[in-house]
Amino acid sequence: MTSETARRNFAEHVLPHLDDAYSLARWLCGDATDAEDVVQDACLRALKALEGGVPVERPRAWLLAIVRNAAYSWLGKNRPRAIVLAGGAEEAEAHADALETGGSPSPEAALIETADRAMVAAAIDDLPLTFRETLVMREINGLSYRDISEATGAPIGTVMSRLARARALLAQKLGTAP
Amino acid sequence: MTRPGFEDRSLLLHAALDGELDAAGVIEMERLLAADPQLAAEYARLKALREAIRAKAPRERAPDSLRLRMMELAETKQAPRREAKTARWRDPPSWRSFAAAMAATVVATLGLQHLIASSNAPDAALQAIVSAHMRSQISGQPVDVVSTDRHTVKPWLAGKLPVAAEVVDLAEAGFPLAGGRIDIVAGAGVPTLVYKRRDHLISVTELRAEGDEAAIPRHLAVEGYPVVRWSDGERAYVAVSDLSPTELDAFVAAFRRAAAKERGGGGGSGAGK
Repeated sequence: MTSETARRNFAEHVLPHLDDAYSLARWLCGDATDAEDVVQDACLRALKALEGGVPVERPRAWLLAIVRNAAYSWLGKNRPRAIVLAGGAEEAEAHADALETGGSPSPEAALIETADRAMVAAAIDDLPLTFRETLVMREINGLSYRDISEATGAPIGTVMSRLARARALLAQKLGTAP
Repeated sequence: MTRPGFEDRSLLLHAALDGELDAAGVIEMERLLAADPQLAAEYARLKALREAIRAKAPRERAPDSLRLRMMELAETKQAPRREAKTARWRDPPSWRSFAAAMAATVVATLGLQHLIASSNAPDAALQAIVSAHMRSQISGQPVDVVSTDRHTVKPWLAGKLPVAAEVVDLAEAGFPLAGGRIDIVAGAGVPTLVYKRRDHLISVTELRAEGDEAAIPRHLAVEGYPVVRWSDGERAYVAVSDLSPTELDAFVAAFRRAAAKERGGGGGSGAGK
């Protein structure tokens, strides 16, 4: 039986951030129904953690960290390939040229602006998992670097380079005519 | 492209875009942007990208069904809300509802113009609606027509009232229709729909919107009941329930979405991912 305090904390720390939780889950697993399952799972984990008396200082980052973990377990079970690809992204990150756009033409700001919904969604979906989660947390959830660092467990420097890399990939995809 | 410090400067650019620079950093960034057109172009690209993402991949709303399931997790079984409500009653409820009902009946019977005008104040209308909701619960007869099918409720109401009431199906959002009834507000019959949520009832009364009526839902507490009033153009709605205010909000959101869809013929921009 869940205690009164845990329920109250749940209402206070978790319920206000359901849209954020859902949006993140949606981008991590790529499907609305699966995202619902992941958020539900995450909420149950959150309630359990609150029951254990865990202190919550930054509720949104805390909840999104749980959503991320729940999404990773879900991906591990249902889309093991996505996790493998995430490993590949880590390697790419290690290279110093991660921020270069290489020899390809410079993406155009004007072209980026004309991209439609489907193009933007497809470009985000195509990002390797670690880049995608960092970008979604920053641009869609609006988390600060510090919150992203807390939610993903990566140091702030890594968060920054992932974000830069994710944006370079997106700009490349959206800003160069097909 | 591999000038020394390029990576640092690029990260600085992102930090500037994300509002993560301190004042000294902002000044340094402005200096760099002014001096380096290539960097400035990169900054413009990043800004365009941000705009594109914000506009075309916005944060999504969690589905109502999920929200409600999660709200249930936070709900207590001992229902302390009920006690809080009783404490706020200043007079015995039965007397107040009886008086309000009497007032409404007097107005209805006499039909006097000045009486109707004076009871046009939102408070009197709300009071009457909340009283009707309370009476419906006390009497055990919350509805005049019992049906979970809106295609039964709508014509029933249409046959008795001069206005066609908006009846939407919210079963999927977790609020099955229980039926409809006619309440008396300011001397006129108005359609009231009754929806169910577990063993709670929600009454939604449809009124003609007042001129200055805001579309944004207003939250009030009448007789300790959470009440939400909002308008959608010509019509105004008042929802009353003994549900928690958060759940009532979820109901209002679901109702408005369904009603807007109904009116728009199922159109709208809901084609997003």
